[in-house]
Amino acid sequence: MTFSVRRRTLPYLFVLPAVLLFAAFKLYPIVASFRLSLYHQAGGVEEFAGIDNYTRLLDDSLFWTALGNSATILAVQVPVMLALATGLAVAFNSTLLKARPLFRLGFFLPMVTGLVAYGIVFSVLLNQQYGLVNWLLGADLPWLTDPLLAKASLGLALTWHYTGYNAVILLARLQTIPTELYDAAAVDGAGAWGRFRHVTLPGLRPALLLTTVLSTIGTLQLFDEPYVLTGGGPDNATLTIGMYLYQNAFKYFDFGYASAIAYALALLIGLLGLLQFKVLGGKS
Amino acid sequence: MTSLDRRGLLRLGGALTVGAGLAACSGTGTGSGADSGGAGDPRKGEITVWSWQGPAAQLKALLPEFNKAYPDIKVTVQDIGNPAIWDKITTGLAAGGSGLADVLHIGVDYLPGYVEKFPTGLADLGPLGATKHKDAFAQGLWQTVAPKGRVNALPWEANSGGFYYRADLFEKAGVDVESLATWDEVIEAGKKLKAATGVHLLGIDKPASQPDAANFFQLLLQLQGKFYFDLDGAITLDSPEAVTALTLIKKMNDAGLVSDLAGGWSALENSIKEGTAAVLPWPTWFGGIIEGLVPQEAGKWKVRLPPAVRRGGATAATVNSTHLAVAGSSKQQAAAWSFIEFMLTRPASQVAIYRGKGIAPALMAAYEDSLFHEPSAFFSGQKKGEIFLQALKSPTPATNYSADYARALKVVTDAQTKVLLKGADPAEVLKQAADQLAQQTGRKVVR
Amino acid sequence: MKLRSLTLTWTLAIVLAAVLIPFYWLVIAATHSSQEIFRTPPPLLPGRHLLDNLSSLQEKAGFGRVVLNSLGIATVYTLLAGTVCTLAGYGFAKFRFAGREPLFGLLMLGLVIPAQVTLVPLFRLMAELQWLDTYQAVLLPNLALPFGIFLMRQSMAAVPDELLDSGRVDGCGELRLFLRVALPPMRPALAALAIFLFLFQWNEFIWPLIVLRSDSALTIPVALAGLQGVDDTDYGAILAGTAIAALPMAALFLALQRHFVSGLLAGAVKE
Repeated sequence: MTFSVRRRTLPYLFVLPAVLLFAAFKLYPIVASFRLSLYHQAGGVEEFAGIDNYTRLLDDSLFWTALGNSATILAVQVPVMLALATGLAVAFNSTLLKARPLFRLGFFLPMVTGLVAYGIVFSVLLNQQYGLVNWLLGADLPWLTDPLLAKASLGLALTWHYTGYNAVILLARLQTIPTELYDAAAVDGAGAWGRFRHVTLPGLRPALLLTTVLSTIGTLQLFDEPYVLTGGGPDNATLTIGMYLYQNAFKYFDFGYASAIAYALALLIGLLGLLQFKVLGGKS
Repeated sequence: MTSLDRRGLLRLGGALTVGAGLAACSGTGTGSGADSGGAGDPRKGEITVWSWQGPAAQLKALLPEFNKAYPDIKVTVQDIGNPAIWDKITTGLAAGGSGLADVLHIGVDYLPGYVEKFPTGLADLGPLGATKHKDAFAQGLWQTVAPKGRVNALPWEANSGGFYYRADLFEKAGVDVESLATWDEVIEAGKKLKAATGVHLLGIDKPASQPDAANFFQLLLQLQGKFYFDLDGAITLDSPEAVTALTLIKKMNDAGLVSDLAGGWSALENSIKEGTAAVLPWPTWFGGIIEGLVPQEAGKWKVRLPPAVRRGGATAATVNSTHLAVAGSSKQQAAAWSFIEFMLTRPASQVAIYRGKGIAPALMAAYEDSLFHEPSAFFSGQKKGEIFLQALKSPTPATNYSADYARALKVVTDAQTKVLLKGADPAEVLKQAADQLAQQTGRKVVR
Repeated sequence: MKLRSLTLTWTLAIVLAAVLIPFYWLVIAATHSSQEIFRTPPPLLPGRHLLDNLSSLQEKAGFGRVVLNSLGIATVYTLLAGTVCTLAGYGFAKFRFAGREPLFGLLMLGLVIPAQVTLVPLFRLMAELQWLDTYQAVLLPNLALPFGIFLMRQSMAAVPDELLDSGRVDGCGELRLFLRVALPPMRPALAALAIFLFLFQWNEFIWPLIVLRSDSALTIPVALAGLQGVDDTDYGAILAGTAIAALPMAALFLALQRHFVSGLLAGAVKE
């Protein structure tokens, strides 16, 4: 009797610390900020506004611009980055590569710069007049001041920043694929590409799902890069939802509206996430 | 199975209820304002002050003198960094004042917003003794800190619009800068300058990589006695004066006279070191910066007040200011006030701060010190202190920054970018900007 | 085979060199004074201001203490959060229980809601608990890191159920099963988790900025932000500080990455 009772409560014990911590420190603020999105504050007085903040979003052209920018980055940058990360992970795992520890560290280093320095380094590198990139290329490209190039610079910075990070996640997963599977495939006559398609990719699937979901969420919430590189400009070409949210909360002190933006975004992410689970999930 | 289901769901439900319950008990969220602040003893206590690099160092330097007058007030000045300080103050105010320092250094771009969104977030300095200093400061500033009678802060720094220029380059182009009376004349002079020396007239952050990219536009607007909002809070973004200002900028840009300052402060520094532009239409405090950046150009620079927009119009405008405020949640408001009073209303303090960092006082009495009347070798022997003093003494219409200044600034810089990078029509983009601002803030547009 | 190896190594080396250009600039710039950093053309050789920058860091920001703070907080965080996330990941991956998916979804909600909106309510909570300017306020909110739980769940799923079941049949207790059977082949994932958790806490900026008040308690990103002013930002010091801050992270990565070993699950599925 006691054994089966213990068996039944056991899983809850494993997840209990996480759930309690979450309930106390994340759930409460989430519920509080959702509540905030239903209020409108004017002159220090709060009034219940129902879904006013949400309907305001529909008419807000800046919100839609931000959404469009975020979606563009998502559609272009994330697949490219994940493909690169997969390639890197395979290379990091391969015995063909010499000095693997150094390579792994080298590609991971971009994650290590803090926000303040990241901004300084990249705005100097990409500066039109005295930037290192233009100096090396012998060009005079307006990396951060032309709308299209600014978006490209953002994508470039993101790829630089996160490819190594995703490669490490994929690498960790790669190493759980039993080597017998590769041997069996080789015995069946599969070449390198065949082994990649039939053993590596399926084995990576859960990690690919993880990195896709994380990258999607990260891109839609993107704040750091636009904040330090372009301030959302020029003329809102690099305004992301994350930036717009920050502006509304911390520059215009419109916390209710900012919360509404966050929850509208959450809805969107939820829908996208579900989609990705359906497509990539399978058995997790 | 059923008992498992129930237990699982119960736990989930429990977590949600606890969360919701906590949320419900949390009170009214933002803006519920000050909490349990108290005056305390004006001669005793421990206070913290939040500021950033330059000004903070000046305050720290004055602490020994402060402690001679108030030996029982222990002061800690903290360097929070700019812009990090704004996130800290905003969060503190939004959380009802928790965790804020006693004294806060706040710029004019944040003060009106804070005052309106968090009406009791900053303490009323009136009862603490501020009202007697009402006339001690430059014109228009009392309106900024006490728009409705409640004194939210005391002015520290007051900057007037300036026109720093490379006199030697203009001489080479055969232009007498002191005789330029309007900005149209400046544009003509700029064309001559470019032809003779290849140097631009001035620089603007065209893609608005920083929020203050519209400083020059704002100066032109303020010279005409107008701003983004009128005194009733209605939007005046597409007023004829605003269109005039933006059209002037477009004319300059179309004539190839405007260099691009995209990239923040370092871009500006570089531009000065390389002499890309001959005019720096920056305020009072910028003089010291120029001296520091290009000391080898001493004697080549001069300064004057900016030309008017229309013939006979104003040439003086107070373009920005900073202030010290006391947090409403502070339990040492009286001691904090003693600190502020010592630093901001005592001419000797302001003179020391100016000497240390070139921070121009809002306190008019400070200008009686000879420091402000000394000729500057760098500026070709001009008494630049007197030039700006004259600006501070000129009649200036009150500026209503309003709580939505940050939003207005954003739509204005976007409009300017459209004009400078895409050749858009000033009247059109300003109308769009005004409408957008109206939609965001619910204010009316004056038409 | 050797040719392929060389080609791969050198191609990747060239790419790596390009990737590390910003770092090269960072390190060079850290040895220059603020005025020299933004010259045209940009400085490519080391300058002579490294010591000046370092002493600025110490004078203006008490950097030595700050680095120790960051090291301490990040280490404690990694250990605690690592435990919480691994336990939770295992629970979600290897057991079926009522409410599993809804509970997991709820935890993932923390990923989906951006930090900026929960900042103020969380700050209020900390204020009410009188935990402002304490390290528990910095650590606790993020212990149940959704990313960590997600990663661990995905990783733990690779442990074959048959292995665990055969352990149970042998009378092995669940905790021992977890520690002796499930964890060991998870070394790469655990190493990755440790790296990510440490990195997260090491770089955390806005929350420590808001919650910490005493100058002696600050972490590296907050202290570096304090060096920014309007017109007198000490770029040399900031970049020097950043370069120094990269070292512990790099050391940790190198130390842990030896656990990135393939084939730990080889032969696990036999009987």
